[in-house]
Amino acid sequence: MSSPSGAMAKLLFVDLIGSVVWFPIWWYTKGLSMVTIKSVNALRYRFQAYAFRIWIRNFFVPMYGQHDWSGRIVSFFMRLVVLIGRLIALLVEAFVYALGLALWLAAPAILALLTVFSFIAGTVS
Amino acid sequence: MDKIPNPESVPNSEAIVCSVCGGDPRASVKCKVCGGAGIGVASSDGFLVWTEKVDDFSVAFRKIKRGVTTGFHAVILVFIILTFVVFVWRVSALDSIGVVGTFNFWIVGHWYVTLLCFGLFCGCFFIFRLFEYSKVEKVIPTWHLTESQLEARDSKVAKAEHRFDVSPYYSEQARDVVESAYKITKDLKRTQVDPHMLFSAVLTSPTGGLFMARLGMDFNKIKEPLARFMVAESAAGNPPVTLSRETKRILALAYAEARSHRRQYVSPMELFIQSFSVSLKLQELIDKLGFPAEHVRQVAEWVRLQEKLREDYHRFVKLAALKPKTAMNRAMTAQQTPLLDRFSEDLTMAARDGRLAPLVGRKSEMDSLLRAIESGQGSAVLVGSNGVGKSAIVEELARRMVAEDVPVELFDRRLVSVNLAQLIASGDPSLAAERLLTILNEIAISGNVILAARGIEALVGGSGAGPLDLAETFASEMDKGYFITVASTTSKAWTEYLENRSLGSKLVKVDVLPLGADDTLRVLMAKSGVIEYRNKVFFTYQALDKATSLALRYMYDVSVPESALNVLREAAVVARKARGEKTFVTAEDVAGVVHEKTGIPVEAVTQSETEKLLEMETHLHERIIGQQEAVAAVSQALRRARAELREGKRPIANFMFLGPTGVGKTELTKALAAEYFGEEKAMVRVDMSEYQDPTSVARMIGVPGDQRGGLLTEAVRKAPFSIVLLDEVEKAHPDILNLFLQVMEDGRLTDGVGRTVDFTNAIVIMTSNAGTPFIQAEVNRNTPLENIKTALLERELKGIFRPEFLNRFDGIIVFKPLTLDEVSQIAWLQINKIEQRLLEKGIKFRAEDKAMEDLARAGFDPQFGARPLRRVIQDRIENQLADILLRHQVERGDTIVLREDGSLSVEK
Repeated sequence: MSSPSGAMAKLLFVDLIGSVVWFPIWWYTKGLSMVTIKSVNALRYRFQAYAFRIWIRNFFVPMYGQHDWSGRIVSFFMRLVVLIGRLIALLVEAFVYALGLALWLAAPAILALLTVFSFIAGTVS
Repeated sequence: MDKIPNPESVPNSEAIVCSVCGGDPRASVKCKVCGGAGIGVASSDGFLVWTEKVDDFSVAFRKIKRGVTTGFHAVILVFIILTFVVFVWRVSALDSIGVVGTFNFWIVGHWYVTLLCFGLFCGCFFIFRLFEYSKVEKVIPTWHLTESQLEARDSKVAKAEHRFDVSPYYSEQARDVVESAYKITKDLKRTQVDPHMLFSAVLTSPTGGLFMARLGMDFNKIKEPLARFMVAESAAGNPPVTLSRETKRILALAYAEARSHRRQYVSPMELFIQSFSVSLKLQELIDKLGFPAEHVRQVAEWVRLQEKLREDYHRFVKLAALKPKTAMNRAMTAQQTPLLDRFSEDLTMAARDGRLAPLVGRKSEMDSLLRAIESGQGSAVLVGSNGVGKSAIVEELARRMVAEDVPVELFDRRLVSVNLAQLIASGDPSLAAERLLTILNEIAISGNVILAARGIEALVGGSGAGPLDLAETFASEMDKGYFITVASTTSKAWTEYLENRSLGSKLVKVDVLPLGADDTLRVLMAKSGVIEYRNKVFFTYQALDKATSLALRYMYDVSVPESALNVLREAAVVARKARGEKTFVTAEDVAGVVHEKTGIPVEAVTQSETEKLLEMETHLHERIIGQQEAVAAVSQALRRARAELREGKRPIANFMFLGPTGVGKTELTKALAAEYFGEEKAMVRVDMSEYQDPTSVARMIGVPGDQRGGLLTEAVRKAPFSIVLLDEVEKAHPDILNLFLQVMEDGRLTDGVGRTVDFTNAIVIMTSNAGTPFIQAEVNRNTPLENIKTALLERELKGIFRPEFLNRFDGIIVFKPLTLDEVSQIAWLQINKIEQRLLEKGIKFRAEDKAMEDLARAGFDPQFGARPLRRVIQDRIENQLADILLRHQVERGDTIVLREDGSLSVEK
């Protein structure tokens, strides 16, 4: 802040008006990266919660300590089903996050276009 | 840029000043080279500088900016809401709401649709503004890194050359502090914001309030001296007010401090620590006001530790959510363990529910434990005394297992603490063995259980459970390697029951040594929050410090930190009951609890006690006639002890009283006990003539296995604050005297049971008649007492006591044989006692002077001192008195007179 007037000018032109210019750039660069990181972290947490690594490592280990043949067979299929189920759940969640990201990407552009389009259409009619 | 060294020698905090403006506060404002920084500190983040100007305008501007930003956001938000309201209002007025679902509706050009779209667009803008502009402070770039990652990064990255402005990383509160320092400087009409102003500004902030409360500091009391100090230490002058070079350096260093402690922002705390550390004069001032620099730093550390624990707790809660809520592991390979569940507690479950506290310190022990498990040796045993923190380590292991921050051997498993005492409680060895094997079988099948066996000596029958011995069974099962055990035991039990057995050899021993004062204090700091919350009280730093020092010094049955924590727990209750909730627990509360528990007066010396101590000689001479040297020596020893000037590792004093019988050696000891320890009985008296053979050592200190202990050790253990009087010490066997070499030198003695008995609060007095003929002969020759003593030590006592024994005494005091005049005074003392006893019956007593002279003469014997006097008084007075009383010849209010001829008469 070199001088009071300079500081006030910075507040007005850079922080307030300038932010309008900075908004789209931020949205598709810093903002996008922030949302992506948050989504990836959330998915990673879900991935941990579903314990895929543990389940794959123990794929042939019988569940509930049932070490007999029937127990092993039931466990194998059970694990397979659960793993597939969890994978589907994770994919659905990933899809939701991807949708969110797509929305993030599309929202300002579509909304701006819609605004302009609707405004022009309204003016013309 | 030129380097200037740091006066406080903080590592890596060397400041570099601008070569153009020289870091001059005023010149640097317009310096093009440094851009107003003037001074900076090199770091791996860059060259740390503070460039932001702090003046009236910037202070006001920050407020304006905050107001404008908030107002701007409010306007956008209102506009967005309005667009929605208008849209809903217009749509609700439509003939058919269904048209909203048609594409045409959105593109046909309705003004309210345009408005809504623009409103939603503004919504995006609002999100952007919130992320980018609502938070003024920036997060320190390395905040997200773990400690090891940060260390690794700093070791790789060299100090960066580019300039790094630290001001954006200051929290709102920290900025407030900087501005507040500016205002203080201005109010005091100074020209530069010095570190002292920063320090004062922190004190006036909310964080400072917490500091002062913990430290027991009253701001109103320090306000004026601090203001005077600030005025004296900085130059007066006209505005503008600028940040001094030292302050700019502190502002940069505060960032480095916050970064190294993995803080999110620079907080007032870092400013406080830096501004305080940099000024020795400020430290001196605060010290003079009663707050040592070390205490100030410790309190800062305390506040920071509690903040860090809060952050850690949030991180832990998030990780704990991944751990299953039941005994089933995440891989679902486990099986039910009904018998184990009956005799155990699931520690991982307790940790998951937040019922286990985090461990403070003990990093090396934790590492050793994990290494033992990881190395494939399987099981480990924590060995340490009671209260040292073995359970805390086991509980931390459970917490780490919840967070899965453990070696792969412990991954996705649960830590189960089996109650061994309950397991073997049946008393039937075969049943206990069966139970143990069934439990181990369940563990084997389940496969996800790590066994925590606290007090593993119970398996050997070491907990007093009788002849039961499951150790071999357990050891042979361990050999099969299908389960991991984390056991714990005391050092004594380890040596006695486990070390030389197969069970002991199969466990990797991890020693848990008692904590030092600093680590104990840190544990108390970490755990104090829970006690405060439960009792609704607050601890001052002095309370914690006192609990640490007193527990370390006076409490031996349970080790620190447990003993210190117990003291704090009780002190909190005492304070709450005495002064109600929301009160501060002080050092005196803590001292009171310790006094009650140990019987040792550890509170600060009161005024009345001070007077008593200063006039100790006078009080003692009320009972002791003559023997000035002896009375002065014991009085001085007590004053030294109470003023806490002694080292604390030896008894309060070790004295040897030498002299003929009946000169007042034992009487002085009794008088001392009565005067200072409250009663004559506060004395452990041992007649050493009973300890003439070497086997009597066992009587004195006890024999192994006999829980009763020894006569001496038990007496001192129960009453550590007392006099230990060893009569006729020359008659004791030399082996017994050897025991006292250790007592006199180290202040402790280990009894037959293995307990260490503390003698540091006792006064050891030994009396001896050795050399009596020599003393009497020399006194008759009027040889000075000092010469007699030298001759005694050099010649007379050499054959009786070993030189190292004599060397350990603080004073060898020679009691002179009594003169007739002294015996006469003693006679008066004795008569006074009789008078007192009769007064209790309502009868007065008077003695004529001549009768007293006769009495003294009859009772005087140069060889036996005042001893015959008692017999004479008994024969001549007490016997007659008894007759008079039994014959009812005297009534209440009468006076009995001792006549010149030695007879007693009654005056009505």
